[in-house]
Amino acid sequence: MTEVKVKKESTDPVDIENRIKELCQQFPQGITDQVIQNDMPHVEAQQRASAINRLLSVGQLDLLKNSNGLLYRLKDVQSASKVKGSDNQEKLVYQIIEDAGNKGIWSRDIRYKSNLPLTEINKILKNMESKKLIKAVKSVAASKKKVYMLYNLQPDRSVTGGAWYSDQDFESEFVEVLNQQCFKFLQSKAEAARDSKQSPMVQRNSSFATSHEVWKYICELGISKVDLSMEDIETILNTLIFDGKVEMTIIAAKEGTVGSVDGQMKLYRGVNPIIQPTGLVKTPCGLCPVFDDCHEGGEISPSNCVYMVEWLDF
Amino acid sequence: MTTQEVRLCGLLLQEHFGDVVEKVGTHLIRSGVLNLRALALETKLALDLVKKSLCVLVQHGMCTFGAGRRGPAGPVEYRISCERIIHMLRYPRYIYTAKSLYGDTGELIVEEILQRGQMTMSSTVKTVADRLTHNMPEGQSMDYSEVVSAFSQLVETHFLQRCPPVASAGPSDSGAVDPPPPAVTPSEPENHPDCYRVPYINLTGKGKRRRSSEDGEADQRAAKKAKTDNDECGDEGIFWQVNFERFHLHFRDQAIINAVSCKLDQTSSEIVRTMLRMSEVTTPANAAFTQALSANEIFRALPSNYNIARPILDQYLTLLVDDPMEFVGKTGDSGGGMYVVNLHRALANLARATLESVVQERFGSRSARIFRLLLRKRHLEQKQVEDFAMIPAKEAKDMLYTLLSENLVQLQEIPKTPDHAPSRTFYLYTVNQLPTARLLLQHCYKTVGNLIERRLYETKENKRLLEKSQRIEAILASLQATGAETTQLTEVEEMITAPERQQLESLRHHINKLDSSENQVDETIFLLESYITSTQASR
Repeated sequence: MTEVKVKKESTDPVDIENRIKELCQQFPQGITDQVIQNDMPHVEAQQRASAINRLLSVGQLDLLKNSNGLLYRLKDVQSASKVKGSDNQEKLVYQIIEDAGNKGIWSRDIRYKSNLPLTEINKILKNMESKKLIKAVKSVAASKKKVYMLYNLQPDRSVTGGAWYSDQDFESEFVEVLNQQCFKFLQSKAEAARDSKQSPMVQRNSSFATSHEVWKYICELGISKVDLSMEDIETILNTLIFDGKVEMTIIAAKEGTVGSVDGQMKLYRGVNPIIQPTGLVKTPCGLCPVFDDCHEGGEISPSNCVYMVEWLDF
Repeated sequence: MTTQEVRLCGLLLQEHFGDVVEKVGTHLIRSGVLNLRALALETKLALDLVKKSLCVLVQHGMCTFGAGRRGPAGPVEYRISCERIIHMLRYPRYIYTAKSLYGDTGELIVEEILQRGQMTMSSTVKTVADRLTHNMPEGQSMDYSEVVSAFSQLVETHFLQRCPPVASAGPSDSGAVDPPPPAVTPSEPENHPDCYRVPYINLTGKGKRRRSSEDGEADQRAAKKAKTDNDECGDEGIFWQVNFERFHLHFRDQAIINAVSCKLDQTSSEIVRTMLRMSEVTTPANAAFTQALSANEIFRALPSNYNIARPILDQYLTLLVDDPMEFVGKTGDSGGGMYVVNLHRALANLARATLESVVQERFGSRSARIFRLLLRKRHLEQKQVEDFAMIPAKEAKDMLYTLLSENLVQLQEIPKTPDHAPSRTFYLYTVNQLPTARLLLQHCYKTVGNLIERRLYETKENKRLLEKSQRIEAILASLQATGAETTQLTEVEEMITAPERQQLESLRHHINKLDSSENQVDETIFLLESYITSTQASR
């Protein structure tokens, strides 16, 4: 009995470790304890635990937690190698930053998560930045706030603000220009439809443009230095809806039709407002900045109103 | 009754009926219901004057009277209707509508009745015929029968109606003793069965030309004769008044038609016009929809010169139904499809467009974008507003706060914890259409008040000049009548110097501008008022 046990002990540790690694490679999603147990029924729980512990401490294995228990997964070889030559603190910070993904993490949040002093963290961050392991990105949400993320990641839209930001400044002129161009496109389309003298139904249908068509038109105009996606154009078209100049309808489209998303196609068309500027705003009082302070006999009154004088003499 | 309404009513009463009526009217508005004695005491006016003022108000339908709080035995109490007074602002529009529908005759009929409050048919016909004759070239005259037919048309289309019969003698004739109270509830004209029945009147003849002042005696004789004429007409005691409700329905229909023609095209608006005309009489006044009409019926009722083929009509109707404004709705498929006009929805949309237009003109198109965004999405956080409207955070914040301080946008706090700590609270911005419409309505009242005050101020400033020009015109007229020489005429004319003439010209320009603006603001008032009443009715 003892002989067998001894023999096993002498061979096992390395074997088990290798076998676990192989298993991990087979299932890149990660394996549970149960899988290892099934694979090596003859290995005792204690041995298994010590092997896994060793792998974890060397940093070859990752311990993850999901709904049905613990998961083991092979650690990225690259990341494992990158952190090589750095101490535990650095490794910890690196891991925290890695977890934050492409949304990035603020240095104060790193401090909370790692429980390291801020000066230490700053030193580590600077160090890692120089090694090109991580990078600092300025967030659009708060211009003073720097967030850190892995060097090779593309920052999330919420951090950069998407196409509408350059150097975390909102490009409102750019948005306005696009807004006007989109409207011009839809308007010319609507006018062409009106002039076509076809039956009313055809006229209406031909005044619609899909968001894909608008997107193509804008791309071909070449007014944008950055690549705009169709979603970007749709947000612009939405502002036109809120301007009351455009209407949108959604129709079902066959899967795979150009410009359809999830079997839906968004159609836009330029429309006319239903009323002219209302009577109230044609008077100076409708636009008066001191309307509430105006009383007959007061400092500001209809009789001595300067706006009234200008308007009457106009 | 808000301060602005009271102010506007006061100004209007003063303009139309003078200072005394204004004082009585304003006091009645302020205190609600009063009896004659209290009114005289509180206004410190002579009882006689108060009675006369009340008479004027009752004559114009602006004041009603009924048994007081102490029951039928107590003193009669008077109640004034603010709404009705504000309708005076709309008189030009009523008259203009009558003119565009029934020509000059209709215009004069409505004008006369508006001016006098209520009139019998025979006296209206006579006055109008006389006035028309006066404006015709020498030798021609207006036949009574033509005026009678125009009058009957106005009655048939419900623009005019009989005044509800008064149960007892008017309140103004008995002295210290208050008159016996009439029916407890003032009867609605609509409930009266004969409301739109034109009485038979035997009235033949032509309008008489008024002679100039030289034969005043003959004029008097004519007046006396007219009186005796009156006795023979056979419609004594039947008084007619303008049916404001009917005019308002007409205005509402026009507003809807105009909106359709702006939004879609001329042809669609013609279809809607036809639908509205067909259901004019059958739809109750405050209904949310018109009666359902089948496509077949609409097709037959379309004006023949419009040349709309049946399939095209169907297409237009589908387009109208599909339109997001939802002016027209479909209720069924029988008879080629049943269609209704969504009156309340249309009014709500028009009111919304009015609000948007006010924000757009006053705060710029970007604020209007935020305003529309909130109208559409109901509740939004500040960050969401910035993102949807694509406006830089700083500007968006500024605009939102400005709108908030003007009460056009409301802020709703939703705390996550009971302590209302700002960091754990959602701040949601929202627009409530109805209260905002009410707010703007008050602004409109104030604006019209301001315009009237300004007009009064302008005339007061130039009073001397105006009087002078009037005097000179009078002199000129009398000189012309006596056949004076042209040199004499020019001499008199030159009494107004060039700068004075210029000043008069600019004054006329100013007054015209103020007047037309009053009418324009009134259009806004009308839209907002109808929206508010329609929304209250549907609740």
